[in-house]
Amino acid sequence: MEPPVLGAYGVSYSFPNSSRPVLKEVSVEVERSEILALLGPNGSGKSTLLKIMAGILPLPRSGLNGQVRFGPVEVGTLTARARAKYAVYIAPELRAEFPLTAFEAVSLGRLTHPGTLLKQSTKQDLGVIEWAMEQSFCWEFRNRDIRHLSDGERQLVSLARALAQGAKTLLLDEAISKMDLNHQAAVGKLLQKLKGQGYSFVLVTHDFNLATEWADHCCLLNKGQKVAWGPLQEVLTEARMREIYPDAGLIVGKNPATGKPKLFFS
Amino acid sequence: MNRLTGYRGYVVGLAFWALALFLALEMGAADHATVDIITKLRLPRALLASAVGMGLAVSGCVLQALFANPLCEPYTLGISSGAALGTVIGMALGVQFSFIGLAGTAFVGAMIFAVILFLVSLKQGSSNLILLLTGVMLGVLGSSLVALWMTFADLNGVQGSLSWLLGDLSSARIGGSLMTLILVVILSGSLWFHWRELDALLLGEEAARSLGFSIEGSRRKFILLTSLLVGLCVSGSGIIGFVGLMVPHFARKMVGSLHLKLVPLCAIWGAATLTFADMMSRSLFKPFELPVGVMTAVIGAPLFMWIMLRNEKKEAQ
Repeated sequence: MEPPVLGAYGVSYSFPNSSRPVLKEVSVEVERSEILALLGPNGSGKSTLLKIMAGILPLPRSGLNGQVRFGPVEVGTLTARARAKYAVYIAPELRAEFPLTAFEAVSLGRLTHPGTLLKQSTKQDLGVIEWAMEQSFCWEFRNRDIRHLSDGERQLVSLARALAQGAKTLLLDEAISKMDLNHQAAVGKLLQKLKGQGYSFVLVTHDFNLATEWADHCCLLNKGQKVAWGPLQEVLTEARMREIYPDAGLIVGKNPATGKPKLFFS
Repeated sequence: MNRLTGYRGYVVGLAFWALALFLALEMGAADHATVDIITKLRLPRALLASAVGMGLAVSGCVLQALFANPLCEPYTLGISSGAALGTVIGMALGVQFSFIGLAGTAFVGAMIFAVILFLVSLKQGSSNLILLLTGVMLGVLGSSLVALWMTFADLNGVQGSLSWLLGDLSSARIGGSLMTLILVVILSGSLWFHWRELDALLLGEEAARSLGFSIEGSRRKFILLTSLLVGLCVSGSGIIGFVGLMVPHFARKMVGSLHLKLVPLCAIWGAATLTFADMMSRSLFKPFELPVGVMTAVIGAPLFMWIMLRNEKKEAQ
């Protein structure tokens, strides 16, 4: 059997000089062509887990215990570039301090595949960039300065940059939160399509109703601990949701069209 | 975005540099310059101005990318303060020696501060923020110690170091100038070859990491190379403001922020700008000479604000 595309095993983490652990013994796996939603309240350790799984936690990693594996390989044994070709972390925001066009920002994804010393992009690079930007609906504003784009448009650019990087495991950290409904729906379809091509995704989000529409499995974190992990219906029970979000008064229902579990405020 | 296409930015920059060099050889205190004046005084000075301008602009560009902060400039890391401290102490003690034709005491001061900064960057877990704060702190420490020293030093020593602190290219000798120019070109070139790492840093540390770059390694490399470059420039010329901040922004307006194109453009425009500014500072009020640092700031600051504001308006439309 094929090993999971991405696996975290007994991951614990506390920030340097802090005794409060952010993650306690969390284990979770992502199979090929799977979308995993990583859900939980603020401060539950979702983003930290995502960064650890992507292998981009800054040094020192002294507070980190446990293992992350890309397929059969332990992530610590990989070079930074090999890691970036396999899995890519997409931040909630695209930092834009300098004048860059959307096209240039996406072309940075190709830095992971360096060509000759004094050539910015090969013909193949240009093809990949165009493909990535068309997939994520930003080809039409490729010549605009990223500093003048809306937050949602910048998130599309981030997604395109990640696709251009060529990794087939994408870890999205609130990376669709500022898109409008059209774009969110379109990105949902894109994820399903890419899934069919062997891509895998981990989504960190607070938008349960989006996550439940797209994800195959979900992992629920609370206070740094894994509460539940499995198929949506099994994890998102009303009792569990009320326990984790006691003040929200949540009701678990169903999407009348798709039958997927949805949350409502009472 | 409005950008110059193709090679226009380079061609215009090279033409400006050539013009500045020509004027720098032509203009000066003496109306009928002899061959001696041109080859022994003006040529070394023009070469030194080119080297220092190039070095300041390239290191400014690199530091802005490294810290993902458009406000960074060569002096942000405080290395210039080390050079200033070295010079002032050297002048007061009457210790003067030269290192490849540069002010040796300044170079020693700059390198001591650079080593401190480099040691901080070696420490595991030191972030860009910590480095930036260390640099700013070293800068303040250095200039306070300079002020303290000047309070106790005798007046003649203070006069000499004051003009140096405001930027002074008059000590240029042909050997030192050529040596500086060669070293600046080598250091700038080796920074340029790392354009991929600089590009990766444009979107911040985290993005660079997820693009597969080891930030810790890049940081050390860039700190080391820019420290050497800034130390070299400051020892040759004293403290010259604005070139390192202004030229990279100006160059980005022309070709965008990707470093394969940006670094050479910064080098050309930096060299041209400082050569031109030094020529002006020598010939505007002759026979008096303005410190070139005053010149770059007096012309540079308003021009910079005008260009930036005008562009903001254009882009807003």
